[in-house]
Amino acid sequence: MTAAPRQVDGRAGTADDPVRGVRGAIEYCYERGWSDGLPVVPATEDDVAEFLATVDRDPDEVIGAQSHLNRRVTVAQAAVNAVMAGCRPEYFPLVLAAWEAVTGEPASRGGAWQSTSGPAPLLVVNGPIRDRLGINYAGGVFGPGFRANATIGRALGLVVRNGYGIRPQELEQATQGVPGRWTMCIGEHEELSPWEPFSVAGGVAAGVDAVSALLVRDCEYIDNRHTESAEAVLWDIADTLARTGAYLGIKHSTGGVVLGPEHAQFLAAAGYSRADVQQWLFEHATRTQADLIAAGKESHDRDPGPDPFPMMPSAAEIPVIVAGAANAAISMVFRPFGWSTWSGRSVPVPPARDTATDPQEAPA
Amino acid sequence: MYDSVIDPTLGPAGDARGRTALAPRPGDLSGLRLGLLANTKRNAEEFVEEVAGLLESQHGVQKVLIRKKPSIVEPAPPEMLEELRAECDVVVVGVGDCGSCSASAVADGLQLEEAGIPAVVIVSDAFRVSADAMATLQGTEGYQYVTTPHPVANLSRQGVRDRATAAVPEIVALLRGPNVAPAS
Repeated sequence: MTAAPRQVDGRAGTADDPVRGVRGAIEYCYERGWSDGLPVVPATEDDVAEFLATVDRDPDEVIGAQSHLNRRVTVAQAAVNAVMAGCRPEYFPLVLAAWEAVTGEPASRGGAWQSTSGPAPLLVVNGPIRDRLGINYAGGVFGPGFRANATIGRALGLVVRNGYGIRPQELEQATQGVPGRWTMCIGEHEELSPWEPFSVAGGVAAGVDAVSALLVRDCEYIDNRHTESAEAVLWDIADTLARTGAYLGIKHSTGGVVLGPEHAQFLAAAGYSRADVQQWLFEHATRTQADLIAAGKESHDRDPGPDPFPMMPSAAEIPVIVAGAANAAISMVFRPFGWSTWSGRSVPVPPARDTATDPQEAPA
Repeated sequence: MYDSVIDPTLGPAGDARGRTALAPRPGDLSGLRLGLLANTKRNAEEFVEEVAGLLESQHGVQKVLIRKKPSIVEPAPPEMLEELRAECDVVVVGVGDCGSCSASAVADGLQLEEAGIPAVVIVSDAFRVSADAMATLQGTEGYQYVTTPHPVANLSRQGVRDRATAAVPEIVALLRGPNVAPAS
């Protein structure tokens, strides 16, 4: 085999017109069922090698398994799907860390990807990697327009689809699924957060790149911008946390909050620490037993619990994250899937290996 | 033309899963020991219990045990399978009424058949696709199971009883034979 020109950033530059045939290659991937609906980047060996070069991992290392489906996925397969998702090579260490975070969550075991509940990970990124990779943590943090946010979550979804073979309306049986499924990747707005980074609660020191994963079933906004009372804002959030729709009549409901920076700073100025916010929300996110019965959700547990009934499992199990722009007092409640809202474990992201300099070309 | 595009579905080889041959069918159910394998979904235990009551009164089987699977997604663990194999002549599995447990129930049916125990799996009709996908994944495309209308979780006990009554003729037919799975 003759030595091909070394590929740089996916551009080998051998073809006369590299654009011709691109659409055909994308269609080829669609035809094989490899796409989640949006176009994928057809992955070549060169592309995958470029991604694998960013990490110090054995490409054949098994990083996930669905034993009941007889499927396992490797580092190399994650690289293929990350290419296809539209990631840049330097995202790959974060993709692998995010995958580790997701698979480490108890909620991701036990058929989460096949469930009628249709959950997806909410990935929360902390540390300088946010700016290095261009991960949005400010305005429109849940929305489009930011490649890293849009493609990192997508890469994980493609691993589930292609690596595990779990596809919608086949082994995947989501009734509706959460909007934004496989695209929810946000940075925490550490610069405007009055509190320590979310990942500190996950066991990673402040300033260290980390990713946390929570499986969620929905997101719902809290727009509260006219009150001067911190407790009124908290009451408003607690009311959404406590809605009966998210309760299954077993154990308890779940909930977490992505506070907009304005709400976070407002609460902090009123003297609330993150733990205080969690405690207040836990104490006030309650419903009467009569409400539960009215919704046909009387407890099926042996002990129906107190009246009023605390809808959240505990104060500590209400994750509080800060993200978005400081331009309106808006926050988002999200609804974790499963009984454990979050494992409480964040995963550090190793720096991408410097692939800009080929060791063979480096001066002796 | 696009041979250089890497197939993202290719991972480490799984265990080879050949087609599961069904266990030999008893011609008559009378006097046979019946085992029940339920999952943790609401009304699953009630459903298979109602089926057992009907099989006892109408066909002379004797219910000897019921086991509840610890996982909604994994097939019954080896010790549970061994217990069913040792103590039962036939087993009823149910109810696959969720995304993962419908597929899992089919996996249970197939592992029981492989262990030599005639089994019947009950799946709610909303999850046919998932159940069929699992059968194919397990190398046994076309595996037959019994469906009951979805949903099951919201039924009263009487509702469960009615469903069980409706399902029993098909359950009996699959337990007795024929002793062949349709060719794939």
